[in-house]
Amino acid sequence: MNRYLPLSILALGILAFATLMLVIAPGIQMSQRSVPPELQPYTEAEQRGRDQYVSLGCVYCHSQQPRSPDQAPDGDRGWGRPSVSSDYVFDSPHQLGTMRTGPDLLNIGARLPSAAWQLTHLYQPRAIFDWSIMPGYPFLFEVKSAAAPGDTVVAVPADFAPPGGVVVARPEALDLVAYLLSLDRTYPAPIDGLRDDGYAARGEAP
Amino acid sequence: MFRKTTGTPRPEIQRPDENFEPYEEHSGIPMPVLWIAIALGLWGGLVLLDTREATSVAQEERVDQVVDEQVTAHDDGRAVFAAKCATCHQPDGLGVRGAVPPLVGSAFVAHGPQIVAQILLRGIDGPIAVAGQTYDGHMPSFASALSDMEIAQVASFVTRKWGGAEGALPEAEVTPLREAAAGRQSWQGGAELATIIAGLPAQPAAGSRTVGQVPQAVSELVFAGRGEVWACASCHGDLGQGAETTPRLAGLPAAYIVKQLQDFRQGHRISESMAIVAAGLAPEEMAGLGAYYAALRVPSTATATLGADLARGEALALQGDWSLKVPACFSCHGPSGFGLAPVFPALAAQHAAYTASQLNAWAGGQRKNATLDLMTHISTALSPQDRRAVADYMALLPPVPARTDPQAARNMEQDNGTQP
Repeated sequence: MNRYLPLSILALGILAFATLMLVIAPGIQMSQRSVPPELQPYTEAEQRGRDQYVSLGCVYCHSQQPRSPDQAPDGDRGWGRPSVSSDYVFDSPHQLGTMRTGPDLLNIGARLPSAAWQLTHLYQPRAIFDWSIMPGYPFLFEVKSAAAPGDTVVAVPADFAPPGGVVVARPEALDLVAYLLSLDRTYPAPIDGLRDDGYAARGEAP
Repeated sequence: MFRKTTGTPRPEIQRPDENFEPYEEHSGIPMPVLWIAIALGLWGGLVLLDTREATSVAQEERVDQVVDEQVTAHDDGRAVFAAKCATCHQPDGLGVRGAVPPLVGSAFVAHGPQIVAQILLRGIDGPIAVAGQTYDGHMPSFASALSDMEIAQVASFVTRKWGGAEGALPEAEVTPLREAAAGRQSWQGGAELATIIAGLPAQPAAGSRTVGQVPQAVSELVFAGRGEVWACASCHGDLGQGAETTPRLAGLPAAYIVKQLQDFRQGHRISESMAIVAAGLAPEEMAGLGAYYAALRVPSTATATLGADLARGEALALQGDWSLKVPACFSCHGPSGFGLAPVFPALAAQHAAYTASQLNAWAGGQRKNATLDLMTHISTALSPQDRRAVADYMALLPPVPARTDPQAARNMEQDNGTQP
C-alpha cells in the first residue's frame, strides 16, 4: 500500500461528485421553486401528530407520493395528482416512503376528511374493513365507563366495542388525525412544480 | 508415484518477514478499462442531457397547457358555446320548445354581453318569459366551469350571433361581474333579472323560496352522526361537495341516492364504510337524506385532476364512440350530464377521481348494481385513458341546477357560515 494519496483523492473525488449530483444540485433546483400559496405550514397539533406518525412507523407501510399516470394508476385509485417537490416544503424529515402495503396517504385528508372515520379506523381497522391488515392502535385511546364533557367519543361498531364502556380518543390520537387530515395536496400543481417526468415527457402517450 | 529425490538440495526460498508491505510499481491503466470508463462516462452524460431535455419539454408542455386552458383555447366563443351551451340551447340557438328558452329573439340576449355574462355567472332558478313563452328557468351557474376569458368570449359570441348587438365584452370587465356574483344564489327568474334590465316584457313573479326547513332528524344524521354511524358531512362535506373518491352528493336524484343506500346495505354495491352507515339507517331516513341532497345547490369544487385528454372526454360525452359501441354519456345522463331521475345519476361537476374509479369498478366487475346493465358494457369498452378523459371532462361541467327547495341549501350555508 504505497499509493495512499491517489487512492484518497479518487475516493474523495467520487464522494464529492456524488454529493454534488445527488444532494447539492437537486437542493439548488428545489430551492428555486416557490411555496404553493394553498399550502399551509403544520399547526402545533398537526406537528405533534406528525411526530406520532414518525414514531409509529407509518412510513414502513404507507407512501406519501402519488405517481404520474405513466408510472402507476394512482390517479385512478383516487390518490390524487402526481406530487411535486414543493408539496413537501414543510416536511422535515419527509415521509415519502416506498412501501405500499397500505395506500398512499398524501391526499388522505381530502378523500377521507372525516375525523370520526379516522378515529374508528385507527382504533380498530377491522371494524370497517374486515380484510384490513393494518394494526389497530388501541393505546392511543382509552376506555371509560362514561364520557366526560369535552371527551371525543369514538364510534365503534357493536362487535368491536369494549364491554361496558365508551372509547375515548387520547390527545395523541386527535393529533395524529389532525396530521392525517392536513395531508391534502389537491390544489392544482404549481406550474413550476418539479417532479419526475418519466418517459412520457417526450410526447409518448402516458 | 514418488519422484526420486536427487542428491542436490533445493535452494533456500527467501520469505518476506511479517512487516513486509507489497510495493507496486507505477503502471498505466490497461487500455480496455480506460475505454470502458470513457464510454460509461459518455453514456452517463448523454442520459443526463436527455432527461434534462425531457424535463424541460414536459415543463413547457405543462405551461402551454395551462396557458391554453386559460387564454387561447377558444377563439371567439363558438367552441365554448358548442361544448357547454349547445346541449340545451341547441347549436342554432332555438332552444327546446317548452323546456329551454331560445336565444334567438330573446330580449335578455339583446341587452348585450354584460347581461349574458351575469346570467352565466349566477345561473337562473325561477320562471322566465322569453319570446312570449314562460319557461321553468333552471340554468346552472357557469362560474366554476368557465374562466373570465371564456365567459367574455361566449357572452360576446351569443349576443353577436343572436342578440343583434355589436361590441365585444373584454375579459377585464368579467372580473368585477364575477366578484359581484360570488356567493350569491342564482337569478330568481325573469323577475329578478328585470331589476337590472329596463324595458323587458312582463315577467312572471318568482315563487316563494321559503320552502320547508330540513327536518331535525335528517340534519342530525348529516351533521352529527349517530352512535356507530359517522356524520354524512364528515366525509361528503358540509354541503355534499365531496372530494377525490368521496362523491359529490349535491343535486343527485333522491331516488338514486336511496337506491344506492339500499344497495350498500344489502351488499349489492361494495363499500365497507358505506355498508356500516347504510346498515344504521331506517328507510324513511334514507328517503329524507335523498331529498336533502337532491335539493342542495352548491358550486362545483371538482377539477380535472387526472391529466387526461379533455377533447376526447368531450367527444365521448357529446357523441360517444360508435367504433367502440359506446353511446354518448349525455344520451342517458341528461343534457350536460345533469342526470335523469331516478335511474341515471348526475355526472356534471362530479369529482374526476370518483367518476374514474366507478368506471373502473363497473369494468372490473366490482360494481354491478344497475337495474339496466348498461355501464358494465360501456366501461369495459372504454380504455383506461378514455375513462380518465371522460371523468376529467365531467368534472369541468357546471353543477346540476336544483329542482326543489333551494332554501335548504341557503339555510345550510348560513348555519355553517361557509361561503360557497
